Amino acid sequence: MSRKDIEQALVRGVEALAAFLPSAPSLLFPVLSSVCVWAVRRVFNYRDHILTWKVWLDPETIRTKPDDFIRHFFAKDPVLAGVYAAELEAGDIKGLRAAFPALYPVLGLEDAFLRGLFRAELAAGDLRRIVAEFEPRAAAAAESIKPAEADPAFWKFLETFGMELASLGLHLLKDGTVEDLILAAIEAKRPEEGGSA
Amino acid sequence: MTGRAARRILALALCAAFLAGCASPLKRAKVHYARAQELDRSYESGPAAAAMKRALLEAGAAARKNPSAQAYTLKGLAEARLERWADAAASFRRAFAFGFEPGESWAADVALLGAALSFEASGLADAAGRVYAHLMARSKFAPVRTAAAGKHVDLALSRALAASDKDRDKALAGLVKDVGRLLDDDYASGFAHYLLSQVLAHRGELRPSYEEAVLARELGLPSEKVLRDNDNQIVYCRDRVREALGPEERAAFDVVHDAWAARWGWRDARTPPWKKE
Repeated sequence: MSRKDIEQALVRGVEALAAFLPSAPSLLFPVLSSVCVWAVRRVFNYRDHILTWKVWLDPETIRTKPDDFIRHFFAKDPVLAGVYAAELEAGDIKGLRAAFPALYPVLGLEDAFLRGLFRAELAAGDLRRIVAEFEPRAAAAAESIKPAEADPAFWKFLETFGMELASLGLHLLKDGTVEDLILAAIEAKRPEEGGSA
Repeated sequence: MTGRAARRILALALCAAFLAGCASPLKRAKVHYARAQELDRSYESGPAAAAMKRALLEAGAAARKNPSAQAYTLKGLAEARLERWADAAASFRRAFAFGFEPGESWAADVALLGAALSFEASGLADAAGRVYAHLMARSKFAPVRTAAAGKHVDLALSRALAASDKDRDKALAGLVKDVGRLLDDDYASGFAHYLLSQVLAHRGELRPSYEEAVLARELGLPSEKVLRDNDNQIVYCRDRVREALGPEERAAFDVVHDAWAARWGWRDARTPPWKKE
């Protein structure tokens, strides 16, 4: 594995992906990190996984959970238990239930796309901000990606790009390192656009 | 190499060789669609969805190049499997126009599901719920019946949560019956067992809920996200069931659960492989 090769591939990937998402630079990171999840894991049929994975919200799971499931979700995760200690201690199930629809997809289901979308908040441990901004930001992301979704070339790109990353040995790097490399590649594109990614 | 692995490699090789020789997008769409169905029957839902996505790309090309009932039917089937309901309804209507008789009723069911989704999105949950219940019970088109079942259960659970204790018990008992009918039609549906597991947890029946979730995982689930939600259900039920057991029963339960966790490649009794380390 050559780290330089991976860096160069990611820069090329950002360039190509930006063409599919011309009006949504904020989606570059979530989409790229979704693709990298499968490339990193290097599962036998990763090509299929990339094609299968929906990189945006899909509400096919049962979202209505019992109170005790929600309490268990907050109490058993050390980060959540810390941030929501007051609600847990007071038995404020109403407060926990209000935060659950935003935090469960991100932390419970570990949706790669949503984790990418809220990367800054996750890094800062600002989970309450995710709850406050989840609906408008997720809805805007889903809307922005629609034109690319309908383009067969978009899927072809994700597939071949994931294969290229896997063949370069991305699986040997830690998740955090991969995220840093993606961010660096996006940053590298910024000056020529004069906008934020 | 196991016999199963060898057969799979042979099937893949034959499929690849056949695909290479296929000239038209329609033929390629049929091959991908047949492959997706085969994977669906083997409960390999992830690769099945990928094959279906390939079938959709080829069927779309076929419909543009040489419109026909076959091309639009295949396109509609793939769109329905991928939950693109509005596109599927339009494709089935085109297929009907080209002479595919069932296309009309399939388009109607798919359009009805699309309307119910719009009702729900615009706050008309009761109207949406009635349509989901109708489609779950009556639709002859399996993708619509399954999708409607998931939506019906979710909406009914959310209504049950807001009801009084007595009404909630009654509503949950009704839901167990509804999902039971789905299982009567197809007991091997992992998704139906997933739904039953979710309903049973709302009734506080955590041991049966755990068992249904295990069965769902074994039979296969329609997407990575549902699989993850089902894994979380297994972990939740496992924790709560253990807490309620005495030392001996707990040890026996742990032996069984740990065997499942090892079979699924979990890192430990509570950590599926997809969880971040």
